[in-house]
Amino acid sequence: MENSAIALRGAKVRTPNQSWLREFCLLPAVAWYGVFFFGPLCFFLWFGFWRVEDYSPVADFSLTNYREIFANMFTGSNYGWGIAQSLWVSVPAALIATTCTYLVVLAIVYGVPARRQRLALLLTVAPFWSSYLLRLYAWQIILAREGAINSLLTAIGLGEWRIALMYTQIATRIGLIHYVTPILIIILYVTVSNIDRALIDVSRNLGATRLQTFRKVILPLSRVGLITSVSFATIICLGDFLSGSLLGGGGGTSLIGRVPTFPDMIMSEYGSSSNLPRTTAMASILVVIMLIVLAISIRLMTPALKGNRR
Amino acid sequence: MSERKRNKSDILGTEGATMTRRKVLKTGAAATAAVTSFSIFSRSHAADQSLRVLCWPGYEERGVIEEFEDTHKVKVDFKIYIGGEQMLSYFSQTPRGTFDAIISDSEYIGKLKALNALEPFSTAGMPDIDNYHPKLRDVKMLRADDGKVWSVVTRFSFYGISYNTNVISHEEAQDWNILFDPKLKGRIGVFDWYLPNMGNVSMAVQPNIEDPYAISDEALEKVRQWLLKLRPQVLMFAAANQPLVQAMLAEDIYASPVGDFEIDLILAGHKNYSSTIPKQGGVRFQETAALCAQGRNKELAMEWIKYMMRAKTQSQLVYTNAFKARAPNMKVVDYWNDQQRELLSYVPDPNNPKQLLVETLLERSVPRSLPSLQPERKWIDIYNEFKSAS
Repeated sequence: MENSAIALRGAKVRTPNQSWLREFCLLPAVAWYGVFFFGPLCFFLWFGFWRVEDYSPVADFSLTNYREIFANMFTGSNYGWGIAQSLWVSVPAALIATTCTYLVVLAIVYGVPARRQRLALLLTVAPFWSSYLLRLYAWQIILAREGAINSLLTAIGLGEWRIALMYTQIATRIGLIHYVTPILIIILYVTVSNIDRALIDVSRNLGATRLQTFRKVILPLSRVGLITSVSFATIICLGDFLSGSLLGGGGGTSLIGRVPTFPDMIMSEYGSSSNLPRTTAMASILVVIMLIVLAISIRLMTPALKGNRR
Repeated sequence: MSERKRNKSDILGTEGATMTRRKVLKTGAAATAAVTSFSIFSRSHAADQSLRVLCWPGYEERGVIEEFEDTHKVKVDFKIYIGGEQMLSYFSQTPRGTFDAIISDSEYIGKLKALNALEPFSTAGMPDIDNYHPKLRDVKMLRADDGKVWSVVTRFSFYGISYNTNVISHEEAQDWNILFDPKLKGRIGVFDWYLPNMGNVSMAVQPNIEDPYAISDEALEKVRQWLLKLRPQVLMFAAANQPLVQAMLAEDIYASPVGDFEIDLILAGHKNYSSTIPKQGGVRFQETAALCAQGRNKELAMEWIKYMMRAKTQSQLVYTNAFKARAPNMKVVDYWNDQQRELLSYVPDPNNPKQLLVETLLERSVPRSLPSLQPERKWIDIYNEFKSAS
């Protein structure tokens, strides 16, 4: 008995995670991502270095496309201003969407009885099941100069307070916020509903006010979810073209000026030019910007994740 | 054991007792092979009998293609594109021989020629060409060697000024400079494509020029200045008809140098819209039918091209749900009622009753083309500068 215990102590015990089965089971996922994600992504990035001959793309490793794009950053085609406009539209939209969503999620988790929470969640994500395009058309009707908002203002005698939202980047943000909100609700609900209620009870029992409990307990423990939501929403908004086109009018006004968003510029390029590799190079720049956003969010998340582990 | 065997044989029927798993698999495989080979054969057989066409929307609509399919007992498969560049992408990304015929805007014929995609043909056996308007019968950029052509026009229309008649009068719309009028500040919508817009502006700065796309660097600089001056007047850009129509209807915009999108508005009962080509001239688009060099059904494709040239076909083609346009075959009027004739301008021109209004517009307009004296890139950069000018 004692010998066998010693033998067990000496033997290398392999947990399921250390088994070769782990690698084996990962293979399909790796193959899937390799074939359907990394492969196309690598080809996409390489395609940006191709050149065009007789209106056909020719495999090459030329920097001409990138040289031309960077030469037109703040002159000519003004791609730099397009990138600035995209960030100016996307980051506030992501922040506003996350803030609104967070409040809704807090209300669901702490205000709705547990048995009704799923229904409440279902209702808040319901807009996600309707077509994005239809939602944008609906916003056109609401935001137009003679649309629902202005008609209502006129009807109640506030005609002089009519607002011009349509074809501005505010309208673009409204469309984007409506688009990302259902996704963020899911992310934040998972975060907030997993906060240990005992910690909240302890905080309250120790005399903390509701606001203090929120500031000292709930908010810090929501940090990872909040950062994930902001970065996720920013990335989605950066890549969106439809809201900027249908609500923003393809060059809507903002503090940056009447400049189209960068995805709008890419689409315009796609529709105008036979140089598909150059359009791909522009899209690659957008991908790099998204990766930077992702890297920043991971950097911001790291201390919180370490704290959670401790 | 015996119970299980019996059950199995019951399931497999009377011969089940001798039916091994291998036999079942073999039978299944044979059946699958038979079905597969039949379906492959059917598909290739069907492919030989079908015609594949790469085209703009409208050509696939039932009313347009039905008679051809019934007459030739064939199925026409359409691949729809929106935009010349998308057409080139589709064409170059599919194996040669995928398409038998292409509907291409006339200026893209040059790009398709560069890809060796087209085969020229003679119009000698095509009587309908005689009914074409002279300007559309013999189009310079469509001419090939030996009296042949690369394609024939099937549909066209104009990029003049489309406007709200409550705000702009017909007389005012006769001059491109109306777009600078203070009453149109922030009330102009632009179709988001450099080619028609810059072609129109080229004519605005050099009235009635023969080819607005073959201009000097100095003239191109004038085009740039004109566009930059126009930018504060522009409220929105749209890559498709619908947002412009919607903006017109909502009175967010009063005018658009986009052509005749007002036809749909008028049809919907909104009578306060019209369009015209200003006196300086404007650009028109011309869709053309071309024969693919590597097509598998060239004879049938030629029959389809002849079919598309007929007055009856064109009378339906230019009046589709997709959008309204104009027909090069002047006999189309025989198939229209008075309202259709008036809507599409096939009525006498009030200022020159000897000819139809559409003929006057044709005289004032030139085909949309590609920049020939500067690289396309230079033109696109100027357009992008206009679009992003604060």
